[in-house]
Amino acid sequence: MQEEQRVNSQLIDKEKIAIVACAGMDKVLGSVVRASAFKIVEKLRPNETVLVCIAPLVANVKPYSELIKKNQVITIDGCAERCATKIVVKSGAKISGRVFAPQSAQKYNLKPNTASDIGPEGERLAEKIAEETALLVDKLCGK
Amino acid sequence: MTLAKDKVGIISCSGEDLTEGTISRVATRLVLEKLRPDETVTICLPLFLAGSEDERAFARVFPTIAVDGCSKKCAETGTMKFSGKPIATIVVSEIMKKYPQLKVKSKERLSAEEMKTVMKVAEEIATKVDEVLCKKSKE
Repeated sequence: MQEEQRVNSQLIDKEKIAIVACAGMDKVLGSVVRASAFKIVEKLRPNETVLVCIAPLVANVKPYSELIKKNQVITIDGCAERCATKIVVKSGAKISGRVFAPQSAQKYNLKPNTASDIGPEGERLAEKIAEETALLVDKLCGK
Repeated sequence: MTLAKDKVGIISCSGEDLTEGTISRVATRLVLEKLRPDETVTICLPLFLAGSEDERAFARVFPTIAVDGCSKKCAETGTMKFSGKPIATIVVSEIMKKYPQLKVKSKERLSAEEMKTVMKVAEEIATKVDEVLCKKSKE
């Protein structure tokens, strides 16, 4: 419960850019996107970004749905269904930037292993996606 | 996703906010790949929530188990909203209370010690799958 309270207090930060990532269970790129989201928020741009869990947006959990309406949002999608983007749009928020993992996989010619173990190429792809997203964050921050 | 008889759909939260989301995700994959590979399928929660009619139709016809990381129960809430009440809900944070000696801190790569907690959760999911299928076969 304390951890949940910590997360809720983080979500009140109006200055941070919300990262909404796909994290789908049944495709390997879902796992890669999830890993990249942690890299952005915890390592590359911890002071500028906040990770917004995708499911509470549909379950209408208040701090989450309110945050994406007030803050700038970057979505990271793992497949052509583009669920992160769709869910953010349905939640009534505007998207300031989008990253599409299959395009990055093709661009860098990296093939992740499986959804359970993304493997070394999956890790490298997660890093590349995180770097691309970090550049978007910088742009939105006016850097 | 292939529709088949005697399958249980596992809808896992996989939330990025808390370590329990990672536990939900990894435990669900253990059930799908190792513990009950022939009896279970996963339903991609973002796809389900974004509006995939295939995923929602499956959850309307077949029994589902929601695996939620925390008390927000997003997987259960989402399933109820779009397809119907899951036949069972497993809340990882509740299971972890039963094993205070097992700690999990990572949200990415879990250590061997952390995997012990994940295995406990996976075993509870597998037991629930068995209960559901046993009930179904008696009907």
